[in-house]
Order: sequence, then C-alpha cells, then structure tokens
Amino acid sequence: MEEENVVQIKDLYLNFYTYDGVVKALDGVSFGIKKGEILGLVGETGSGKSVTSLSVLSIFVPPGRLQKGQIDINIKGKKYDILSLNDATMARVRGKYVSMIFQEPRAALNPVYTVGDQISEVYFHHRKAELVDNTIAQLREDLKKASGLRRTIYRADLSLLEKMKNNPKSVSLRLSMKIPLLNRFQNRIKTEARKMIVQMLKSLNIPDPARVIDMYPHELSGGMAQRAVIAMSLACNPMMLIADEPTTSLDVTVQAQILLLIKDLQKKFHTSILYVTHDLGVVAETCDRVVVLYAGNVAEIANVFDLYKKPLHPYTQALLESIPRPGHKFISIRGIVPSLVDPPKGCRFYDRCDYTQEKCLHIEPQLVEVEKDHFVACHLHYGGS
Amino acid sequence: MGLREYIIRRLLLLIPIMLGVVLLIFAIIQFVPVMVRVSLYITGSIRELQPAAVQEVIRQYGLDQPVWIQFANWFSQIMVGNFGYSESTQEVVVAGLMARVPATFEIVLVSAPLIILSGIWLGVRSAVQKDKPFDQMTRIISILGTSLPSFFFGVLLLATFVGQLRWVTPGRLSPAMGTALALMIRNGEFTKYTGMMLIDSLLNLRLNYFYDALIHLILPTTVLVFIQTAVLVRVTRSSMLEALGKTYIIAARAKGLTKNEVIYKHARRNALIPVVTISGLLVGGMMTGLIITETVFLFPGVGSWAATAAQRFDLSVVAAYSMFSAVVFVLANLIVDVLYAYIDPRIRLG
Amino acid sequence: MQSKKKSGNFRKAIEPTFKELKFILKRVLRSPLSVAGLVLITYNVALALFAPFICPPVPGTADVYLIPRDQALGFRIEPSAPSPTHLFGATRLQVDLLYGCVWGTRFAFQLGLEVILATLAIGLTLGMISGYYGGFIDEVVMRFTDIILAFPGLILAMAFVAVLARSGWSTLNAAVLSIVLIGWPGYTRLIRGEVLRVKGEDYIEAARAAGASDLRIMSRHVLPNSIYSIIIVASLDFGSIVLTAAALSFLGLGSQPGTADWGRLIYDGVPFASMGLKYWWTIAYPGLFIVLFTLGWNLLGDALRDVLDPLSRRK
Repeated sequence: MEEENVVQIKDLYLNFYTYDGVVKALDGVSFGIKKGEILGLVGETGSGKSVTSLSVLSIFVPPGRLQKGQIDINIKGKKYDILSLNDATMARVRGKYVSMIFQEPRAALNPVYTVGDQISEVYFHHRKAELVDNTIAQLREDLKKASGLRRTIYRADLSLLEKMKNNPKSVSLRLSMKIPLLNRFQNRIKTEARKMIVQMLKSLNIPDPARVIDMYPHELSGGMAQRAVIAMSLACNPMMLIADEPTTSLDVTVQAQILLLIKDLQKKFHTSILYVTHDLGVVAETCDRVVVLYAGNVAEIANVFDLYKKPLHPYTQALLESIPRPGHKFISIRGIVPSLVDPPKGCRFYDRCDYTQEKCLHIEPQLVEVEKDHFVACHLHYGGS
Repeated sequence: MGLREYIIRRLLLLIPIMLGVVLLIFAIIQFVPVMVRVSLYITGSIRELQPAAVQEVIRQYGLDQPVWIQFANWFSQIMVGNFGYSESTQEVVVAGLMARVPATFEIVLVSAPLIILSGIWLGVRSAVQKDKPFDQMTRIISILGTSLPSFFFGVLLLATFVGQLRWVTPGRLSPAMGTALALMIRNGEFTKYTGMMLIDSLLNLRLNYFYDALIHLILPTTVLVFIQTAVLVRVTRSSMLEALGKTYIIAARAKGLTKNEVIYKHARRNALIPVVTISGLLVGGMMTGLIITETVFLFPGVGSWAATAAQRFDLSVVAAYSMFSAVVFVLANLIVDVLYAYIDPRIRLG
Repeated sequence: MQSKKKSGNFRKAIEPTFKELKFILKRVLRSPLSVAGLVLITYNVALALFAPFICPPVPGTADVYLIPRDQALGFRIEPSAPSPTHLFGATRLQVDLLYGCVWGTRFAFQLGLEVILATLAIGLTLGMISGYYGGFIDEVVMRFTDIILAFPGLILAMAFVAVLARSGWSTLNAAVLSIVLIGWPGYTRLIRGEVLRVKGEDYIEAARAAGASDLRIMSRHVLPNSIYSIIIVASLDFGSIVLTAAALSFLGLGSQPGTADWGRLIYDGVPFASMGLKYWWTIAYPGLFIVLFTLGWNLLGDALRDVLDPLSRRK
C-alpha cells in the first residue's frame, strides 16, 4: 500500500528554536498521500500543518529546523528521500514534480515583477528543452516564408538556438548571449514561452490572458492572482500539488470558483493534492481522505465519509461539533493548545479531552489502524503501548 | 496617480519649498546689525568703501526700510547672482563658490560609487548570512562607523598618515606641484577644463598631476566612505532581511529556483527599494561630512570655505552656502523620490 | 513597581508601561550588544554624576566647565605628556585633559538633556496640535518643518550659530539653540504621525462621545500609545545630538577655548595632529570618550528598537 503512495511522510520531527525556548512543533508526524487523491490536512493554527506541507518541499524556514524524519517521493517508479537530497537537486524537484499554492496569492507573487515574468520562470527552469524545441519549430516555419535579410537573420537565430539545444555549454553560445544584437534570439524563446503561458491562463478561465501577463501582482484581484499562482504551480504538470489554505483570504464566491477549478484540474491531470486547511466545510466538499493534526501529532486519518460519520478521536469529534450551525448553540472546544516548548508527556490533547483515562496523562498514544483505512491515535480506541 | 503626475506634483512643490528656504535665510540675516548686512550686496570689501558709499548701499537696497521692501531688494539681487562679498576670503561670493565646487564635487564623484557599491554588497551579504561570522563582523564595523565622529576619524588619519608617516601632504596637491601648476596655468601650459584635477590632468596629459591628485583624495574619501557606508549597510541589511522573510520568497523556492536566483533576483530588488529612498538623506550626510573632512585635510572645497566663513561669522558666505546646500539637498531628494516611484511598480502604475 | 502617588490620569495610563519595563529590560539583556550598550551608558551616567568627586573643581569657580589651570604647568602652548599628576596629559595651553574628558561627559549630558527636553517640548506641543486638529494649523506647521528639513542638519545649525554669535550671543548658547532649531521638526513630524495613527482608532471616538476634553484625550490616550516610538527615536537621537554639538565645537562654533567639551578639545589638538602622533593624547582621549558615549547610545537605541518595535506592532 505504501509503495503506491506518491508521497510518504515518515516520523517527521521538527523544532523551532526561539528566544522563548525550543518549540517541539512536529512530534512524529507520519502519513501517506495516494496517487490521484485529494488529501485534506486539517488542524488549528499552530497545529503544524503549514510546516508539514513545506517539509514536503524540503523547505524549512528558520528558526525551524528538521530534527529527524524521512519523506519518500515516488517519481516515475523510483523512490527518493526528499530530506536527504541537497538543495540543488531539490530545486529540480520543486515546481516540477511537487508544487505549492499559497494562502495569500498576492503575497506569494513578487510585487516588482510582472505575472508573466514569474510564470515564465517556471518554464525556463523546468521545461527549457521543450521551449527551445518549440521555438526552433516555429522558427523553421517562419524561415520557409521569409526572404532576403530576414532569411539571414532567421538562419543565424536558428543556428544559435540549435546550439543551445545540442551544446548548451558552448563558449560561443555563452558569448553571443551577452552581445547586444546577437542575443536577440533569446527573445524568440520568450515569445514562445508567452504563447504557452497564454494557453495555460486561458485554461484557468483568466479573461484576456495576453494583458494579464504584463500586469503586476498588485493590479490583480485576489481571485485572479490565485489563478496566476495556480498557473505557476501547474505549469509542469506536477504529480503533487500542495495547497496551503488557498481560499481562506478570498471572497466566498471566488472561493467556490477556485475550489471548482482545483477539483477540475485534479480530475484532468490526476494530480495528487495535499489540501491544508482549518475549514471543515471545504474538507467535506473537496477531499477524499483527511489527516487531522493536533499540536504536532497526527490524531486521526480516515476517508472523508468515515471521518464525518464516525469520528473516533475526541478532538475530531469536538471539531465537528464546533462547526457553527443555524439554530444550534455555538460550541467551542474548551481550553487552549498546550505550549509546545514543554509539551505534556502523554497525549497532547489531555487538557481539553472529556474522555481521558489515567494512561492518557503519561503515555503518548500511537497511530493505529482501528478499522479499514481508519487510523486514530487515542487510548480510547486501543491505542498506545 | 501615474508617474507623470507624480513628477509634476513634486516639481511644483519645489517652488514653495525654495521660497521658504530663501525666506528663512533672509529671516536669519535680519538678526544682525545693518552694517554687517551691507556686505551681502556689495562686490568689494566694505573696508574700502567711503562712509558715504556705505550709506548709498543702505539707501539703495532699503536696508533701513521695512522688511518686505528689504526682502524684495535682496531677492532680486539673488536672482541676478549677486550674493555679496566675502570678508573672510576677500572675494565675490559667487566667484568663490564656483571656484571651489569642482574640488568638492571631485571627492563626491570618487566617494559616491564606493559608498553605494560597498554599502549594498555588504548589506545584502550580511542579511543572507545572518548571524554568521561575516554578518557579525560587518555589524560591529557598521555600528562603530555610526558611532565614530567623522572629525575624530579624520584627525586620526591626519595624525597618522600626514603627520607621522608623511605619506601625503594635506590639501589637494603637494605644495611643489601646486605652485608649479599655478605657474603653468598662468603660462597657458595647462588648461582648466572642468576644475577637477583628476579629469583635467588626464586631458592635459599630465600623469604626474593625476597621480598626485589621486593620492591626495585617498584620505578624505576614506573618511567619507567609511562613515556613510556604515549607515548604508545597516539600512540595506534590515531591508534585505525584511524582504527575505516575505511569502514570495518561499513561493520562489517552491518553484524550484536556485538559492542565488531567489536572493539576487527576487529578494534584492525589493530590498533596494527602501534603500533608494534613504539615499537622498545620504546626500545630506555627505554634505555635512564634507564640511568636516575638507576642514581636517585642508581640502579647498566649498565645505572648508563655509566652515572658515562660519568661524569668522562671515554672513554672506554662510547665507549663500546654506541656500546652495538646501538646493542640492532638495533636488537630490526629488530625484530619489522620482527614482523610487519609477522602480516600484506599485507606485508607478498607481 | 506600583506607583503609590496620587494618580493623575497620565500616571494611570502609564502604569501598564511600568510592568512592561521589566519585560523590556529582560529582553534587552539577551543580546551581548545590548548589554554592552547598557554598560556603556551606565558608565557614562556614573562619570557624569560623580565628576565633582573624580575631578574636584576649584572651589569658588563660577563655571565648573572651565577647566582649571595648574599653575605649575603655566601657559605653554606645547601639550604636556601624561604624568602622575595629569593622567591624560594636557593639551594646548596646558589645559588638563582628565578634567576635560570627565567633565566633558557631564557637559555632554547636560547639553543633550537641555536640547532633548526643549525639542521634545516643542515637538510634543506642535505635533499634538498639528495632528489632532489638522486643517490650516497642520498645513502651516508642516510647511515650516519642510523648510527646515530642506537643509542638511549641520549646515543650517552653522548658519544659526554664525548669525546669533554675530549679534552677540555666546557661541555655546548659540550652538544649543541651533541644535534645538534643527531638531524640533523631526520630533514634530514623528509625534504628528503617531497622533494621526491613534486618532483613527475606535477608542478615541468612544472617548470623545463620552465627552472627554481634547487635552484629556491627548494626554490619556494618544500620548501613552506613542511613547514607544518616541523613546526609540529619542535614545538614538541623544547620541547624535551630542555628536552634532561636538562637531560644532570642532569647527570652532561651540564652546569657548578651555571648556570641558570633547569637540573643543579635539579642535585644540588638530594643529598638533598634523605634526604626527607625538601628542597623541590630545586627540586620543577626547575621541575615545566621544566614541564610548555615542556607541553606548547607538547600541541601546538599536536594542530598544529590536525589542519595542514588535511590541508596538503587536498593539
């Protein structure tokens, strides 16, 4: 079963080294993401969901530091441990096999570069060969129809492009890239990239893509910006997309559009999606399976029906109960998330749980498959040693 | 508002500010006795004038008349370039200013690129290698630079290199070369094209003068560069740190960009935007620093001229220099503001 | 640190700040650089306070800042080297440097405090009025600050000193006034900015609706909330004020010859500096004292900014 997973997270431990002490943010997080599924990662603020999602990209923001763990990724049949890859190798994975979209789309875009610039970065990084091929093909077409001076120019550009394809490190190529008139052949590649980007943006229902390409992030609405970010993330048709609360900062109507878009794309490209959120409503609508995270531990894993019909972990139950419903009293979970600088030795949910036993205080519950494909880490359900 | 409107608006704002500057200087001048103010209008030393002539000046420019008439007269004189006469250096103020600007400008020309390039490089690298040895060292040096008064640093260098080691003399050229130069200029063997020694010596194909001028520029430049760079490094570092903490940096990494690309292509450009804003203030800092540096190293620029004049309470020079530096400062800030509006698309496109 | 005095509105509003002071101090003590700053400032304050004991002045002198003469040394121009009786040596005309440097600290503090208090007073008044009432007054005040800020600082100060001295002021008093005159626009703008920021908050509306007078609102609500920025700026500025004063003295536009003023002492030492390092003590000691002073304030200002900025943002 594990072998079929696109991504398998094993025993992830992560600490934040702050002035106030060492925050044990992730305390042995393990779960897998299946091919083609939408997996929801649910938790409150501070549960560690964002940090976990960034770990899949092997991105650790100081003062956070990985303690130990393994994340296996299955690329074309071969397994790699992401966390053991060096940064340069990882850079070839990011954006190409695994990509990410963010909560605040306009914050995820660099304000001083146009949208087109930023999207084309992905193309230039991961699909350069294809770009060059397309450019060459296009140029050959144009060459047939050209005559005179133009023919000569095209021929020159063509030879440079072919050199780029076959012998990218050649000195003469490098030189001509710097010389003012000769380096114009690079513009052709940019034009080709533009074509591909316009296609991409069209498929995401962005109106007037040619204009949007030249716009700056602050000129876009939230929804448009998020589509641009999605375009960036899907440019290379990754096998896995991490969506970190992509609709939280958007209007409700736009939210719905984006959600539909994501589901659509997933159906079309069979992308696995790790959908990080705190919104249980979205989870119910969108996800196939759900991982519930509490205070750095996995509390429960189940498919979405089982989770909503039969939540096993007291935290999950409390979460579901606290969803506001018209006509019902507003219930919230009592207590607060414990300080992770000095976390409790036993179950981290102890203080807020209504079903505690003696061993909950001392022994940390392990994640156990209690029913088919339904895992829970709770002593109540035969957990712990 | 678009860039064009922004520029126009700033240019228009220039007028009231300049007017205010002139008014302020005028107001200050009014505090001194009438006799002293006479030298603001004349083109020769007051001592050489007959009492009757002095009275004539007072009458002509209405120095005994109400304030607004005086201001009108003074303002019209300024507009035609009559800033009076300098008693402390016995020359017409405008001529004195013009003669000395090239020397000061030369120091600026040599220092400014050094300050900008090293300040930005050090600041960016410091931020990228936060808390590592390079950063610690840079921070200590830059804190020292902002705590070291320029006059102390300058005098230390003066004592060591000029006084003790005698590697160079104070001033712009060595004494022998200076006198020889004056002779050559009078004989027509040396033409002053720009007034700046480095350029003129090359144009006149006198490499020995080029070399001499260059080594005399080293000490003043060092003082100026050290202190201004310290300021720039701190601003660049904190700006870069802020840029590096933004979400789009993580997004860029998530796209698969290399570390270098992320730092230099994405973070740095954003970090430089606030840096551009404060570089206007750096110009002001340099002007202030120049006064002291030129005084310490006896460099014949406008700074030392103003300092000497101030010491001797020579009002015509002080007034003229104050207005001059205000104009330069305001223009520099204007250019900086326009530059800022241009490079930040959020402002350029509204 | 509970204040038991009869609480004025101001004190009550400041009380939570006292509790935060402990927290701030704890945070400041974390970084070695901040600790260094604190140490330097304490040293400077101690020096200033105990100057009369370290270098007792001659009883009966009118101006304690005038460095007393040692008859034994006379009036020779050539500086005397450091000796057991004159630990830091003497500069031009046998002015004792130990007295000069130690009392120079006190002098710096006195001058700095005078300037800061005056500048803050003007800045607070004008800034509050300008920010709170807006409109025509605001425009006028802003134009004034624009004009003064159009000049690079020291240059305008030099002009002020030259004019005042020419009309009979002592250069020292002229210098102090000049620094105030170039300093008030900065504070006015800062405080005005804070007032504008706080003005938009809801509790101001509430206070006004409850019938609080303008003065009460300003003192009870606006001021305490602006304190952090004011503290940060003032502490960073204290060092630069003293530096500006020293620069003016260095240019001969500050205190009289023979005053215990670091800038003035260096000015006296310059002619000897061009002769080499022979008379090093004439420059080194005053310079060292300046650096220790300014460094302390810069470090402290930095530390305060690191601690208080996130705090004020958190609010």
